[in-house]
Amino acid sequence: MNQMGGWMGKILDVNLTTGETSERPLDMDMARQFLGGRGLGARMLWDEVGPEVDPLSPENVLIFACGPLTGTGYQTSNRFSVSTKSPLTGTVLDANSGGFWGMQFKKTGHDVLIVRGKAEQPVYLEIKPEGVTINDAVPLWGKVVSETTRTLGQNNNKRNVLCVGPAGERLSHMAAIMNDGERSLARGGPGAVMGSKNLKAIVVEGKERPGIVDQDKFKFMLYETRKLLRASPLTSQALPEFGTIVMMNVVNNVGALPTRNHRQAQFEGAEAISGEALTEKYLVKNSACWACPIGCTRVSKTDKVEGEGPEFETAWAFGAQCGVDDLAAIIEANHMCNEMGLDTISTGSTIACAMELAEMGLLDSELRFGRADLLVKMVEDIGYRRDIGAELADGSLRLAKRYGRPDLSMSSKGMELPAYDPRGMQGQGLLYATSNRGGCHMRGNMLGLEVLGLPKLIDRFQVQGKSSYVILHQNIAAVIDSLVICKFTNMGVAEEYFARALSAVTGIHYPTGEMIRVGERVYNLERLYNLREGFAKADDTLPPRLLNEPVPDGPSKGWVSKLEPMLKEYYRARGWDENGVPTPHKLAELGLDKWVEAAQ
Amino acid sequence: MIDERIYEQFKEIGRDLYEAGMISSHGGNISMRLGDRVVIKRRGAQLGRLKPHDLIETGLEKNDSGVTLASTELLAHRTIYMQTPALAIVHCHPRTAVAFSLSRDELVPIDNEASYLLKKVPVVAEEFASGTPEMATKLAAALQSYKIVMLRGHGSFAIGQTLDEAFHWSSTLEESCQIMLMAKLINEPFIEYRKMAEGYGKW
Repeated sequence: MNQMGGWMGKILDVNLTTGETSERPLDMDMARQFLGGRGLGARMLWDEVGPEVDPLSPENVLIFACGPLTGTGYQTSNRFSVSTKSPLTGTVLDANSGGFWGMQFKKTGHDVLIVRGKAEQPVYLEIKPEGVTINDAVPLWGKVVSETTRTLGQNNNKRNVLCVGPAGERLSHMAAIMNDGERSLARGGPGAVMGSKNLKAIVVEGKERPGIVDQDKFKFMLYETRKLLRASPLTSQALPEFGTIVMMNVVNNVGALPTRNHRQAQFEGAEAISGEALTEKYLVKNSACWACPIGCTRVSKTDKVEGEGPEFETAWAFGAQCGVDDLAAIIEANHMCNEMGLDTISTGSTIACAMELAEMGLLDSELRFGRADLLVKMVEDIGYRRDIGAELADGSLRLAKRYGRPDLSMSSKGMELPAYDPRGMQGQGLLYATSNRGGCHMRGNMLGLEVLGLPKLIDRFQVQGKSSYVILHQNIAAVIDSLVICKFTNMGVAEEYFARALSAVTGIHYPTGEMIRVGERVYNLERLYNLREGFAKADDTLPPRLLNEPVPDGPSKGWVSKLEPMLKEYYRARGWDENGVPTPHKLAELGLDKWVEAAQ
Repeated sequence: MIDERIYEQFKEIGRDLYEAGMISSHGGNISMRLGDRVVIKRRGAQLGRLKPHDLIETGLEKNDSGVTLASTELLAHRTIYMQTPALAIVHCHPRTAVAFSLSRDELVPIDNEASYLLKKVPVVAEEFASGTPEMATKLAAALQSYKIVMLRGHGSFAIGQTLDEAFHWSSTLEESCQIMLMAKLINEPFIEYRKMAEGYGKW
């Protein structure tokens, strides 16, 4: 067992241009300040990739990072993240994933892997106790994710494979990096960055274990966390029984389920694509990531395919957003996304955008809302950049701009919005508009407060004071992404448990408030990164449809997103100026004094 | 102008605190953080009978005319908001918990509900236990790690994302202290029913 608490203390640096690999110690001051995962990734990306770097050039880097809790055995401590400059949005990006790969990478004795440069020919990286090798991947290039993963010897929790599919090889801006077969670092196009480096896969095998400083306290935290996860109906019943797709009916019932490219906020076919329908007709079994007692993963089967998913966001993107109520078609589209290595949210929502453009006669295609029969073929065409798929492959904003209607892209900062309509959940709209990686529900989520009543229900239409909740949940999400654990744990267990688990593992006392302050630090640094890239207040916005077109019917009838007053309050509450720039006072308070000049 | 939805929350929690016997007629105070503003009960207003004009809005960090009317504990509330993730604060005088705070440095519940929700509640002491910067600083420091803290001989300060949540911790503490009191009165040997119970005292 590693003698340090939580961190392994090493960074592995691989230069694909030169073929050199090297190790260096992790800067422990930096680790204490940013923890790991997304936080450490953002901090390192600040130094590594400046505004002059094209996301798909060899100068961009991929920073794979674990956190101090990864691999410790704490509930859901299987996760890791990749940080890079996003080809989809041009913003700072991190995407994180579960499964086994993150835990296994940490067992190789490293906290961080930086991949830089570009190989001349397709290669894959193998990190084993014997050493690090860069191997020929020419025979693997072009292969879909399942075949690549199988060929490279994926073996549960012993040998784990991370790779890109055809979409990443073809630099789709929606390309995911896939791990353990069907898990994905999905959003923002990290798969395209990996493809641009001619890097097909990274295989890990490890033997080391992270150290835990206070074993007794850690065991108590394991016990208490397990108790709470078992007690919560969400984490002990809803998610295990139905998966994340259990949210379909819940969100639809309150009139916040975007439908037909956000033309409506309730879908008449929601029941047919719900968690209940999935469980009844297509579920084969449940599955779980390493060290996860929740087990929200579905394995589903149709006449044509069998595999993991679909998640709620996926079923919504190919379902309600495309006006499709055929769950089998959605499962098959999800499966194809996994094979191609595509982000399901962006892919589904881009197809929905294309459907609207086609219905308006702007796009010459047979795509129409409700055309379930076209979904799988369209996903495959996007993955291979074939026919019209080539136009969709870089996301809805580029597609809609090409046809002169950027307003029909349901995105923020170029990232497609997920399955919650900001007109029916006012806080969610503010959250999307201010999300540092573009419209995203994993940068905090108002679902708990505005719909589920976690920890207590607040009024979803309330505008005054909404910024406080959004900021707190953005900060909490940032720190959870830096630990790195699964956000579903937070549906049953409060942050104070994570702080105590972190303290037990590292031996460093992190009061709950101080741990959440780490999240605030990360959020502010990411904001500075985006400002350095040229993003400004005008980019903190939502599609015009959501600001101007009232929801036509249902429980949110008549509402638009009241973003402007919330945004004004948000900047002030964040300690930012009226242009959304962090003030010197705020930066000093967060220990980001070195960035004061950059903010000016 | 304070949103009617926000006033409703104050009115309901204020009434519940009074009816639960956790404050005297004019005691206690509650507040919410709204962005960079704080909404707090007017000084001298009755929590059990709040009217819209009993809510005072002022800056989180900056003073304005609102401070002339705000609760005596405004300083404590502001300090807590600036130093912790709190978005709402409930300060009340749960009498059984106050009684226990006179003889203990921490309250470690023995009942299942409070063990589950609170684990342990620290007691902080301050010579001037009302409205002073020293008290505010001590409270805020403790609330970095705990969601509810007792001020010796005075009352509890609970934080949450909503008033509802902070009230939940407050009422749980008082209920737990009443159970502790009853168990002491029964005066029979305690049968430990919780696995790893020693962990609560170290929370």
